[in-house]
Amino acid sequence: MKVVIVGNGIAGNEVASFLREHGTDKEIDITIISAEKFPEYDPCSLPYFVGGEVDRDVVFRKTLDYYKDSNINLVLDNKAVSIDSKAKKVTTEKGDVFPYDSLVLGHGGSLFIPPIPGVNLEGIFSCKVLAEADKLAKHKGTKAVVIGSGAIGIEAAEALKLKGYQVTIIELLGWIMPTLFCEGASRFLEDEMRGYGIEVFTSEKVLSIEGDGSVELVKTDKREIPCDTVVVATGVVPGRPLAETGGVACERGILVNNYMLTNVEDIYACGDCVQTYDACTGEGCMYQLKHNAIEQARIVARNILGEKVEYTGAYPFARAHYFDTHAVTFGKTMKGAERICSLDEVEAIERRNMNGYLRVLLKDGKIIGGQAIGKVADYTGLLMGCMWRGDDLHEFRENWPAIAALGSPYPWQARKLGQLLGLSALDAKGTKGSDRVKAILK
Amino acid sequence: MALKEEKVIVIDPDKCTGCHSCEMACSMKHFGKTHSHFSRIRIQEFREVNTFIPVTCQACEDAPCIKVCPMNARIRLESGAVVTNEDKCIGCRACVYACPFGAPVVNPDNGKTMSCDLCMEDEMGPWCVKACTLQQALKFVNARDAARAKGRDMARIIAEDYMPPKQDSDEFAFSFSV
Ligand SMILES: Cc1cc2nc3c(=O)[nH]c(=O)nc-3n(C[C@H](O)[C@H](O)[C@H](O)COP(=O)(O)OP(=O)(O)OC[C@H]3O[C@@H](n4cnc5c(N)ncnc54)[C@H](O)[C@@H]3O)c2cc1C
Ligand code: SF4
Ligand code: SF4
Repeated sequence: MKVVIVGNGIAGNEVASFLREHGTDKEIDITIISAEKFPEYDPCSLPYFVGGEVDRDVVFRKTLDYYKDSNINLVLDNKAVSIDSKAKKVTTEKGDVFPYDSLVLGHGGSLFIPPIPGVNLEGIFSCKVLAEADKLAKHKGTKAVVIGSGAIGIEAAEALKLKGYQVTIIELLGWIMPTLFCEGASRFLEDEMRGYGIEVFTSEKVLSIEGDGSVELVKTDKREIPCDTVVVATGVVPGRPLAETGGVACERGILVNNYMLTNVEDIYACGDCVQTYDACTGEGCMYQLKHNAIEQARIVARNILGEKVEYTGAYPFARAHYFDTHAVTFGKTMKGAERICSLDEVEAIERRNMNGYLRVLLKDGKIIGGQAIGKVADYTGLLMGCMWRGDDLHEFRENWPAIAALGSPYPWQARKLGQLLGLSALDAKGTKGSDRVKAILK
Repeated sequence: MALKEEKVIVIDPDKCTGCHSCEMACSMKHFGKTHSHFSRIRIQEFREVNTFIPVTCQACEDAPCIKVCPMNARIRLESGAVVTNEDKCIGCRACVYACPFGAPVVNPDNGKTMSCDLCMEDEMGPWCVKACTLQQALKFVNARDAARAKGRDMARIIAEDYMPPKQDSDEFAFSFSV
């Protein structure tokens, strides 16, 4: 069996190694076609390499030897450009042709470059791929503007600050990390950012980048910011053109069914390039995150191996971490909730104390998302568990007096959840010792 | 976790008295000092009901912490334990947030995470387990035996569920799978 994988990223490699590790058929012939020159690396690690927090070799997930030893044919620096799904062949830009029995599209997305005049000047970088990160790491500038305040923008800003740059972030929408956090949490994170000496401007539109050959100035609708470095972090668009050459149906991303199979026979897709559905709400989504890429890739590999396994859906989960600030977000934000219901249906629980800030969003008593900053964030896993199981927190609140009185340790997460939600242990029903013993003996 | 000859630490919270000896043993083993902040095992305290629960990394089969680590610093050792490679960790805490138990602990000295390494190859076995010899709230057993015991436990719980409810018992619509 010939398996051809397009994209040597997180998803593509997970498919390849899963096939090697779990495939009983030693004859599976695996080829990975890579547009880049490197063995697998982790894009998530790039900002930390740029900022000098870790050495360059840390970003790699594989060595070239791995591919040799595992008998995986790695074709480097050769972009796949077209698919002939009738003849079952993929052609690359260098004219090489790869026949396949199963084809896996795992080519991720590409950086969205906003149509700003001057965006091609010298001194403009991104942090999406290693080759770009290499350039940014080598670049010697002093004043940087980061356009876009998604997680990547924030991480890039931290990296440059660590390198001694003076850094300004510009965000088009009302607050930073607008898809990850609700306004309140975001404002707090923004203030923290300023506290570390990074300038943040929100609701501001970049009009042009100016300079003679290389960047000198970023012009927004509110001001002009002199700079010698610009990092574009305005999001990632899923790669569709290749899929379309093979007649693969796409919407925002490549469409797949529950087996991660596209509408074309024997063509699978996984990772940042696919459009799947939310594990909790079922709505169509594109959460371009590493854990989703890995899980989707495993589904692809298992289906190629003949197991009929279904994907259970993608989930948003992201941390925001810079300097001493630690925050996390999962599920829906208020803005995201708009897509599944009317906002009147959403109940927000907010708690703030010395352990940090917690915000949990409920719909019909069930958790649909949350955000946390500081120590309280450590229990996010517990809240996510409730979300996935669909636990009813209204019911939980009603039962709390009984739960609080229960001495048995087993539902300790329930007890912890009570603490997180600010329910008082003093509300325990029957706090008399004998009642407690009864509860324990139950 | 694959059920080979792996050994795991099994927790019996009913037996924990909250003495924190395991924490002391853990920080002693790894840092040569007795300070609970340096322990990889932690006691969740619910003093109002006199309840103490030792919490430590369960080395999950399909560990979420490994998948979300941006630096690929969470790794599984031969022994089955899931630990942090300090050379790669940047202290972002994604692993803590993704863990169903919030198990990884942040080392107060360097901000990096750490979790139970089963005391590596120490022939004594995990120190926390030794420290709990008296109470037996922690045991170091073969994964296979642990799975069997867990199966029995589940069977008991399920059986209880199917018994007719006692008259004055509280019903808990809310249950967590641990
Ligand atoms: C700076 C940064 C930080 C991030 N941080 C996080 C984080 O903290 N947590 C998280 O969950 N996610 C994070 N992500 C997202 C995460 O990296 C992606 O979700 C993940 O890499 C997706 O894997 P993938 O295999 O689909 O795509 P990629 O890893 O992008 O791999 C796709 C590969 O395919 C190649 N390719 C593209 N087109 C072709 C072609 N035509 N032919 C051949 N090869 C091609 C590309 O060059 C690339 O190497 C981050 C991303 C970036 C850029
Ligand atoms: S740290 Fe948590 S998620 Fe990771 S293996 Fe341990 S228990 Fe599982
Ligand atoms: S804190 Fe360290 S080990 Fe945990 S996810 Fe972040 S980098 Fe990985």
